[in-house]
Amino acid sequence: MINAPAPLLDVRDLTVTINRDGKLVTALDKVSFFVNPGEVLGIVGESGAGKSITGAAIIDLLVPPLKRTGGTITLAGTRLDQLSPKAMRSVRGGRIGFVFQDPMTSLNPVITIGQQLCDTIQAHLKLGGNQTKKRALDWLDRVGLPNPDVQFKRYPHQLSGGMRQRVVIALALCADPALVIADEPTTALDVSVQAHILELLRDLHRESNVSMMLITHDLGVIAKMADRVAVLYAGRVAEISPVGELFNAPKHPYTRGLIRATPMPSATGEMRLDQIPGAMPGLGAVPPGCAFNPRCFRAEGDCRATIPPLYHEESSAFSCFHPLERVTA
Amino acid sequence: MSASDFLILNHVSKVYRRNQSLLERLKKNETGGTKAVSDVSLTVHHGETMGLVGESGCGKSTLARLVSGLMAPTSGEISFPPNAFGNKPRLQMIFQDPYSSLNGRWTIEDIIAEPIRVHKLRNGRTAVRARVDELLVQVGLSAADAEKYPQEFSGGQRQRICIARALAGEPEFLILDEPTSALDVSVQAQILNLLRDLQKNLHLTSLFITHNLSVVRIMADRIGVMYLGELVEEATSEELFHKPRHPYTRLLIDAAPDMDTSDRSLHPIAGELPNPAFPPSGCRFHTRCPFAQDICRNTVPPQKATETGGMFRCHFDLDLSNASIFPPAAKVKTA
Repeated sequence: MINAPAPLLDVRDLTVTINRDGKLVTALDKVSFFVNPGEVLGIVGESGAGKSITGAAIIDLLVPPLKRTGGTITLAGTRLDQLSPKAMRSVRGGRIGFVFQDPMTSLNPVITIGQQLCDTIQAHLKLGGNQTKKRALDWLDRVGLPNPDVQFKRYPHQLSGGMRQRVVIALALCADPALVIADEPTTALDVSVQAHILELLRDLHRESNVSMMLITHDLGVIAKMADRVAVLYAGRVAEISPVGELFNAPKHPYTRGLIRATPMPSATGEMRLDQIPGAMPGLGAVPPGCAFNPRCFRAEGDCRATIPPLYHEESSAFSCFHPLERVTA
Repeated sequence: MSASDFLILNHVSKVYRRNQSLLERLKKNETGGTKAVSDVSLTVHHGETMGLVGESGCGKSTLARLVSGLMAPTSGEISFPPNAFGNKPRLQMIFQDPYSSLNGRWTIEDIIAEPIRVHKLRNGRTAVRARVDELLVQVGLSAADAEKYPQEFSGGQRQRICIARALAGEPEFLILDEPTSALDVSVQAQILNLLRDLQKNLHLTSLFITHNLSVVRIMADRIGVMYLGELVEEATSEELFHKPRHPYTRLLIDAAPDMDTSDRSLHPIAGELPNPAFPPSGCRFHTRCPFAQDICRNTVPPQKATETGGMFRCHFDLDLSNASIFPPAAKVKTA
């Protein structure tokens, strides 16, 4: 990594545990990744892989009994994991914007959306009343709400799901953050609305050059949006690769399994569907060695004994003793 | 009507009404209410899987409930023509959420044995138990699992139990309402493969409801596309994907992001889904359709039959086989 720009967000060995009646269960096990300035990092995995916990751990929003027990989180030189709770509050919504999955529960139902925007802007940017309102109206317009003046005075329940998610995106971006964490931003929406929201996120990303962490389970969304992708499995990083490499030449058997299990028409129009046997181990039931070994067709003795470290190779990294060969065809 | 017809829906509609006051009821006020399913005609043939796709609020789950007899249609007729099985075929449903559709206080044996006992398909405890074991093995679980409770299983395993319970009633007709939407990708693939094998081996006729076009393409022989309560297009799977006739079908196929990283364009459908309680006049899709003209706004489009036995509701005969080329109107945001 010579001459590479310093990453905006650098997460190293992030570990999160759950205290279950005095027994510590590991939910995130030494997760390391970075996000470059202006980059979209996709984080993909099945439910329980630790995607959302990763997002919440970065902005220190873990709900007990979840607790961050190790690792460092550095945002542009600042160690977020060492900040006081008060200093962390100004980072949330200020330096880091957050888009949650469910637009209904992430907005306050008894405050107008205009007021919610103004509150966020005022808390982070110290603007005067008129300027604040102007900025809020401007953002409603930028996220594509028709008639911002009218929408400003409306309550969340008066908007459709897609419109609400637009407001949530405006809230995440209105204070000029350096990083936006979008946790399943389109999962609660219909297909036709999903494409709108993805397009909006992409346009805003291009305009403002903000870095983005896009957490999703949908490989289609990843293929269209991400620059690099981190695949999580049972609380560990399985593979981090540039998006083209990940889909065309995955290194980790789980990555390929996940891609092949997604029902998608191939180039010839033929439908194929290869399943991965078994299911992801639950919390506290992770097998020794590589977490994927019971389901892996390449597993050997060493996979069952030792946890594979993250091997770095050119632009990608993977944690596998027997990675798939790069197919050149 | 041909001998292969298994299920016939004839202009079926369902209106959900709010609670009316006594006065309104006495006046026999017929106005108001949400037309969840509107004038749907459909034939399912013997041994085929009919897929139904659409976005939320399009009436696909309501249609499933109407077909299963859980609700009566407001108008129209649902009939199973008499066949070798007698007048009424046995019917079972598989639901979306495998967490809420299993009783947590019953063992797996109780759950799977219930349809066998209700329909008196086996006599005696040992025969019932033997059948339960057989079913568990058939869906990829083991006979030892019969003693356990639903909480001890993962989502995918629970859905297997739901499938075993549905098969226990020895159905001729299976209704699957989003059976894999609550499951993860790798588990979804397992369940879809299991369902596909079962359909092939047991010669089931089924109605497969989902919002996921790729899933329905894998599972169904024929597909119906619904929009705001109406069936807008119906064709065989391959024809629907290669040569869609209705603009909504084309846009829906394009809107779902695929895994091609070389072409990263997105294809949103203009505007938003209108409130199903107040569907637009004329063609219900005209507010979002890039081809809409005056006739679409004023006149309800007729049902047109295709030469291959399909159906579509559109004023125009559009060639939509080579997709993704749309008039600039598709980009315009509507309020």
